Amino acid sequence: MTPQPNTPAVTTPNTMTGAVVEKQIGKYNVVVDRSKCISAASCVAIAPKVFELDEESLAVVISQDGNDDDTKLLAAQSCPTAAIIVTDTESGEQVWPPK
Amino acid sequence: MPNPPQVMTARLSEREVLNAKFTQYRFELVLPTKIHFQSGQYVSMSVDPAGHRRSFSISSTPENDHGFDLFIDVEPHGMGVQYLENLQFGDTVSVLAPMGQFVVQSEDPTVPLVFVASGSGVAPLRSMLYDQLQKHGENRKMTLFWGLRHEADMCWTDDLKSIVASHPNITFHPTISRAMDEWPLCRGRVTDCLTVHEVDVTAEYYICGNQQMILDTIAVLVARGVPEGKIFHEKFY
Repeated sequence: MTPQPNTPAVTTPNTMTGAVVEKQIGKYNVVVDRSKCISAASCVAIAPKVFELDEESLAVVISQDGNDDDTKLLAAQSCPTAAIIVTDTESGEQVWPPK
Repeated sequence: MPNPPQVMTARLSEREVLNAKFTQYRFELVLPTKIHFQSGQYVSMSVDPAGHRRSFSISSTPENDHGFDLFIDVEPHGMGVQYLENLQFGDTVSVLAPMGQFVVQSEDPTVPLVFVASGSGVAPLRSMLYDQLQKHGENRKMTLFWGLRHEADMCWTDDLKSIVASHPNITFHPTISRAMDEWPLCRGRVTDCLTVHEVDVTAEYYICGNQQMILDTIAVLVARGVPEGKIFHEKFY
């Protein structure tokens, strides 16, 4: 298994009327366990802005903030081999698959 | 290109125990009220409050767009089967659908189609067969190889006999691995059946079964000259 490294929740500086507001885009971090991926592409179908298939037809994460947390979780839950690990970056707990 | 999946709510409307191994379920859509899928696609059903999901191929045809049929092998009796068995008529389920890219590639009726299934893997292939029959009638040659363990596992026999009898373009090869002495047709695994019948190298091949069956079938087909690019299989079985 070669999980991709965890990354912290994305924060985007947003300038509004001179003030800097920090906007958090989701708290779930997704990682693909490529040894389990069978190229079913259900994740790509559900969260196409987060996952895509690479040249080996295995799922990779292209962005952590392309789709919202609920969609990312649904994509992970739809994977027939539970190859997608979802972690809550705030609590550090693994959200999916259940431990 | 298949339609993107969406969350759908559907209601159990029929449950037909076909034999000791297979049960067919019918779900009618509640929200939305129609599904636009392609034959060969599947639904991903939420089967417990924790979020576990199971994938089930749709065995009905896209023409019937207000619901979907599932063809279930109940013998493994895993989480998905138990969930389905515990449903009462009228209960609703949540599915993501349509899912998957295991669909007929060529819509050219001069390209023959060969479907190779074991067990409940016949579900998406049955949908493809009937869908193509509706679209092309007798203009597309199609062959179904279906491997089962026992003769008692056979179902849809009358339907399949009827379409074979009324459509000269359809061929059906049921294969029984533990057949009684009097079984008149192919014995052994579906790959054994494929080795003794004619293999059309111009056809597209669609395989659905367990992983070893898929690998074995691909090996037989490639050895018999079928280009790998013409072989397609469902990945989640």
